[in-house]
Amino acid sequence: MSALRVTAVVRRIIAQFRRDPRSLALLFAAPVAVIALLGAVLSGSGASTARVAIVSESSQPASAAVVSRLTAALQGQPTVMVNTDVHDAATARQMLKDKQLDLVVNIPADFTVQSPKLQLVTLGLNPTGEASVIPNVQQALFKAVAGNLGGALPSIERSTVYGSPDATTVDTLAPVVVGFFVYFFVFILTGISFLRERIGGTLERLLATPVSRAEIVLGYSLGFGFFATLQVATVLAFVLGRLDIPSLGPVPAFAIGLGVHTAGNPLISYLLVLILGLGAVSLGIFLSTFARTELQILQFIPIVIVPQALLSGFFWPIDQLPSLLQPVARVLPVTYAIDGLRQVMIAGADLTSGQVLFDLAVLTGIAAVFIVLAAATIRREVA
Amino acid sequence: MTVASPSPTTSATTAAPAVEAVALRKAYGPINAVDGIDLSLPAGRIYGMLGPNGSGKTTLIRLLTGLVSATSGEARVMGVEMPSRTNLARIGYMTQADGIYPELSVWENLSFFAALYGQRDRAEMIRALELVELDGRLGTPAHQLSGGMRRRLSMACALAHHPAVLFLDEPTVGVDPAVRVQFWDHFHRLAAAGATLLVSSHVMDEADRCDELLFMREGHVLAQGTPADLRARAGTDNLESAFLHFAGLSASPPATAGSSQEAAR
Repeated sequence: MSALRVTAVVRRIIAQFRRDPRSLALLFAAPVAVIALLGAVLSGSGASTARVAIVSESSQPASAAVVSRLTAALQGQPTVMVNTDVHDAATARQMLKDKQLDLVVNIPADFTVQSPKLQLVTLGLNPTGEASVIPNVQQALFKAVAGNLGGALPSIERSTVYGSPDATTVDTLAPVVVGFFVYFFVFILTGISFLRERIGGTLERLLATPVSRAEIVLGYSLGFGFFATLQVATVLAFVLGRLDIPSLGPVPAFAIGLGVHTAGNPLISYLLVLILGLGAVSLGIFLSTFARTELQILQFIPIVIVPQALLSGFFWPIDQLPSLLQPVARVLPVTYAIDGLRQVMIAGADLTSGQVLFDLAVLTGIAAVFIVLAAATIRREVA
Repeated sequence: MTVASPSPTTSATTAAPAVEAVALRKAYGPINAVDGIDLSLPAGRIYGMLGPNGSGKTTLIRLLTGLVSATSGEARVMGVEMPSRTNLARIGYMTQADGIYPELSVWENLSFFAALYGQRDRAEMIRALELVELDGRLGTPAHQLSGGMRRRLSMACALAHHPAVLFLDEPTVGVDPAVRVQFWDHFHRLAAAGATLLVSSHVMDEADRCDELLFMREGHVLAQGTPADLRARAGTDNLESAFLHFAGLSASPPATAGSSQEAAR
């Protein structure tokens, strides 16, 4: 192992990127732009007001009192707007279809004081989106029903162990997004860079010099590690920081950065993402063996990147995946990065946490496996 | 196929050969790209490998540089069996593709490869660029160079560390005639200084500039000798006919000779 040769490879990679502004933009501007967009989309969806009507199909005398109690309770909610002009269930259903209402609270025909049953009706075209209005309404309903029936039901309050109950989706998704984008961009850039090395004839020439395969992989890891370091710093600064810009003339006030609260030390988040990135460098080198063109590198996205997006806990908790897919999720590096980032950023874990140390260890192990694979396959295409 | 006996000049040399092959064979599936080649090339000469595309020239160079491992047989450079990573520091290899980084400048390309070979002497690197007349373009990105200039940069990258053995795979393709003459003058200077050069080509008109020729076809060395020697043995006054003679194809008029050589590709 010669430090001079490794340094030569590192310096060359940095010089190549300096000359390639578009790839640099991909590395730095693209993740920030995507995260900003994601932040804007997610924060927008929570702000809307639910339009609600309360109707009754019951002939019970008590039901009229329930309607007025519910109406009174819901009118006190800031995110709910009660439409008091609608009284029969058929009209209310039609108004759901016409998108004039988001939710109908129906007191069914079999309603009794002994078994107080309520129906919450939504349209059903976009179940996830519609469900977001339910919790606010539900809480008010419980209170109203409990009051009406003489305190038979306890009042319900929401609380969480970590973070706060009003943490937005952006807060909980930010750690996930940071890890995922670094992995994605580092993989794509290394894969394509190394493929160009293979098809441009420079790899053949490299291998005819005294440089070893380990020196090449190390040089690549350090060179791309340098850019991954800057990228993670940029992305974390954007996610954690927030700079409010006041309104200027026709431009409304806006904020740069998401200002996500991190409970733990950002440096540990940094470490997690960096080791994940090193694994992505070697994976890129390794998979470039199996590609002959840049297009074929892009074909690895659905094979390598998309499954990690779906299975790594990005959208759904791993425990809730079908049992067949859970073992798959547990071998994906992004799974461990996301878990570690959540531990650190949301739960405030530090390096004394067994879980964080475990995640770091697994990530290091996966990176090591791919470093060995990358070094072993470098000669393949040339031979 | 007859492998010709070494010419008198080769057999007279006593020092250990710079390049050696013993029953060297490389198979890709059912095809023997190099099919049992024996070579013993003394140092300080320019050897030309001539043969149609697919005759095994590049594979032979790859075996000699250790880029591929032999299916059977041995390859030795400066007495060291290849592949040997440390021995590569004494070898220069100009690939058939330019093998330079288009985004990097002339100087960055050269200093990168020089660093890998352990050459840190800036004056030597500049001298390599002077030879290929690129010393005035140190900062020019390689992608802005013409095809011939890229070829010259590729050459400089193979020379800057003063290799004892230099493998040049079609070095003069796309290089204009004036620079081509300079290249050959420099090849002779390197050989005079003790370097051994193995130059592949499928153009016969460069062959006369070599000290010795290897005629290659289908993974075999058909004949080896000085250009004059080969012409005399084939009983012809041109190397193209001599090649066809050794290839076992009838020595026909040049026009037909060209087309049968095409057919061999």
